Amino acid sequence: MATETAGSEATTRRERLVGWFDGSLATLCLGSLAIVVVGGLVQVSHGAYSMSITSAWQAVLNPDVILNARAWRAFVFGPTVPILGATMPEMGTESLIVWNIRLPRVLVGALVGMNLGVSGAIFQAVTRNELASPFILGVSSGAGLMILLTLVVFTGIAAFLPLIAAVGGAVAFLIVYVIAWKNGTSPVRLVLAGVIVGTVFSSLQTALFFFANDIGVVQSAIAWTTGSLTGTDWEQVRMALPWTVVAMGLALLSSRQLNVLLLGENTASSLGMSVEKVRFALSGVAVLAAAASIAVAGIVGFVGLIVPHMVRNIVGSDYRKLIVGCIFAGPALMVAADVGARLGMSVLVGSDTQIPVGIVTGLIGGPYFLYLMRRQEQLGEI
Amino acid sequence: MARERDASARPEERADGHGRDGATLTGEELVLSYPSTDEPVIDGASVSVRPGAVTALVGPNGSGKSTLLKGLADQLAPDDGSVLVDGEAIQSYGAKELARKMGLLSQESTSPDSITVEDLVYHGRYPHRGFFESVTDEDERAVDRAIDLAGCGHLRDSEVGQLSGGQKQLAWIAMVLAQETDVLLLDEPTTFLDLHHQLEVMEIVETLRQDSEITVVVVLHDIQQAARLADEMVALKDGAIHARGTPEEVVTEELLAEVFEIEAEVDPTPRGPRIEPLRPRYGGDDETRSETPVARSDGGGG
Repeated sequence: MATETAGSEATTRRERLVGWFDGSLATLCLGSLAIVVVGGLVQVSHGAYSMSITSAWQAVLNPDVILNARAWRAFVFGPTVPILGATMPEMGTESLIVWNIRLPRVLVGALVGMNLGVSGAIFQAVTRNELASPFILGVSSGAGLMILLTLVVFTGIAAFLPLIAAVGGAVAFLIVYVIAWKNGTSPVRLVLAGVIVGTVFSSLQTALFFFANDIGVVQSAIAWTTGSLTGTDWEQVRMALPWTVVAMGLALLSSRQLNVLLLGENTASSLGMSVEKVRFALSGVAVLAAAASIAVAGIVGFVGLIVPHMVRNIVGSDYRKLIVGCIFAGPALMVAADVGARLGMSVLVGSDTQIPVGIVTGLIGGPYFLYLMRRQEQLGEI
Repeated sequence: MARERDASARPEERADGHGRDGATLTGEELVLSYPSTDEPVIDGASVSVRPGAVTALVGPNGSGKSTLLKGLADQLAPDDGSVLVDGEAIQSYGAKELARKMGLLSQESTSPDSITVEDLVYHGRYPHRGFFESVTDEDERAVDRAIDLAGCGHLRDSEVGQLSGGQKQLAWIAMVLAQETDVLLLDEPTTFLDLHHQLEVMEIVETLRQDSEITVVVVLHDIQQAARLADEMVALKDGAIHARGTPEEVVTEELLAEVFEIEAEVDPTPRGPRIEPLRPRYGGDDETRSETPVARSDGGGG
């Protein structure tokens, strides 16, 4: 009898720990994973150097690469890191193209989608506003401005680009916060302040173009501000991965704080939360995630806004589920959009031109947002 | 007798009882104002809440009763004066420490629609959990007790967005009960509810009054409810405390005339004084408009 009770208590506790992982979330995660795998497969098998799906898979699963420690050292640490680093080993053309060019691009896309989705989800809870995203609250433009400053003016510190982008994003968000603050903030004030700061920073970005005397710098600056995965390789993976792991881990650990924030400032503080501190810390995590993605892919619009929306429609607004859902759905959207960005033009007009992925996400995101606006009577407060 | 009113007898009744010791809550010379207003809403009010008892704050609209509660709950920093919990200044408590001592149910509580009642009640355990701590047996027991006491066991797995206003209020009450505080502050818990749920909420407070040592301060719009529910009443008018004492002492025809500006009959009953409002008074003196429809239909009973 006693053991029975103890057993059932243990069960309910386990249910509390993992019981929230329900069918809709599992479906979402598996579906997203499938999209990433299919999208990745399309990405590795198509392009200027064409190969069949079979040979693409063979290249992906090539044991000479997968089981090669030196190759992994080259991927993960790069050629310049002492002791751990290594140069790329010899491999066949197909393996080289798949492993060095196409696969890392899929990986970078997945990391970017993850970061933007989670960053948007956190900002939406912090501001209790469904319309919040890294893009709308100025973080993207702040980080983008710092990236341009680094590329154009302070070229010597380009190695610290992610850190600089993070600082720029954080500063921009703080400015938005200060402008919006008047006895507390409100969703509308935050969004308006974000528009103000975004406008000013965009102007400064545009101004910086005049100081660029090299057309190459201008072109790469344009790619940065539109959001592009063109030319990304293992170096971008190395750049974004550590920050992504930290940001995702912190976001998952903070899901209960995010849930309590959703109960409103009054309830959260009467429950003993230091609302301002928690809000600030969580914003820091969101800024880190957004900055990590901007540092490798530039300003990819709409992902941070619509991924949390899509996930919320499927799993509800419990942040334990929402964060996990965004970690899977973000990569799915981003990888799928990058298929369109990389191969769309060759399907439509038969040219090999690639368009920035930010254009594709905007083309998907705008209409989706319109659909949401039409369908939901109240769009704004969560 | 439906109701034991001898306050001095109650602590002995519970000498062997379960539950926590009632904590004292004192506001001294509180001056409270909102940033948007120049004049303080509460200007120098002192309240001392009796431990383990139910104290009701009553007063007309704009009398400052909710503001006073916010001040006591540390949701509004006083311009002057201090709030003491168990004799210590409220600022000396850490945020979570205070939330383990004192719970507040605000007037307007919002939550995402898709959250379940159970998950909402678990949020009441927030001050008892560390940043990374998972649910303990103690949390589970507290949540079960709170849901049981609030009588919303049948709603446990329902989504809050699907509930009626009254059911929502029960869920929120369960959340503050799960906080397991020594002091519980309730801001108009019965306003906007249908009669059934008003009575349910009152029964919960009644249970707290009788079976636990918890100190309850409740703002009530309905003075009749307050008179029935409370051990002590504090009547406010224009930001100042006008009267305090037992319901029998506070709810008098004179007080209703002065504070609420109504003419009413008060009859003592076993369930506390019963109030029959007759007609509004104007101008604050004895002059009444006797030709109002209310007066006529009442047959001039005053």
